Amino acid sequence: MPKTKFPAVISTFLLCFCFWLLLTWSFEAQELAAGAVVSLAAALLSARFFIHEKPFWLFNPAKFGALFVYVFVFLGELIKANVDVAKRCFGGCTDVNPGIVKVPVDLEGDYARAMLANSITLTPGTITLDIAEQDGKSYYYIHWIDVAETDREKAGDIIKGRMEKWVRRIWQ
Amino acid sequence: MALRIVIDVLIAVGLVFAVAGTKGILKMPDTFCRMQASTCVSTLGVLGVVLGGALYAFCIMGSVSTGVKVILIGLLLITINPVGAHAIAKGAYKNGIRPDKEMEIDDYRGDFE
Repeated sequence: MPKTKFPAVISTFLLCFCFWLLLTWSFEAQELAAGAVVSLAAALLSARFFIHEKPFWLFNPAKFGALFVYVFVFLGELIKANVDVAKRCFGGCTDVNPGIVKVPVDLEGDYARAMLANSITLTPGTITLDIAEQDGKSYYYIHWIDVAETDREKAGDIIKGRMEKWVRRIWQ
Repeated sequence: MALRIVIDVLIAVGLVFAVAGTKGILKMPDTFCRMQASTCVSTLGVLGVVLGGALYAFCIMGSVSTGVKVILIGLLLITINPVGAHAIAKGAYKNGIRPDKEMEIDDYRGDFE
């Protein structure tokens, strides 16, 4: 089991405390104290599972800016894909051509890979089934509702769109 | 008044996507395509309703705490939903569920078996 590190505890505590503030939305001393105690307990117990890499990456303004831009990039992709799948659903659900494509991914680190995989899963029309590592490169197995391109590199470009570039900017 | 129209349009858009996703869940030909349709409900379907509800809470009810809670619900759904979708799809594939029609391309089968 990994050891609990102090910076990781601090950043987990900050996150928990922000959640507490947002959920209770009251700033009385009693509420704040109770929240601090609960968050500290949660942070001590869960920091070693929650944070593996640098705990304070979000305090870097460039990365925070990239995360902010990424939200809008992702929303754009989300709306495009949603309209596409909704059209297929209203069109009688026969206009599908499903398949599982193995797509190469050029990202370092667990967080970056997990974030891109989750973004792909969240976009309707694509679900990440698995991540594999072969010869130092990582691959996603992606179920795609409409296989427009069977070449893996090109299919990857279509599926990932602009998201991969921004995820790389956030985490590196 | 204009605000009220914006709120209603947001909620209506969310409902349209939810109906599309539900129709997909019922009518799609195989398990994986049904899961794809279900993501429609949990992304734009939820986002539209959450945004509409948050605007209503902030501007018409005038209650900031309710609005923040509504936005938190949307945020949590967005972060947790893909984990479940991925686990269900992978579990279905590993349990031997395959579409009736042959898939266009299936890279997972060769590497996995």
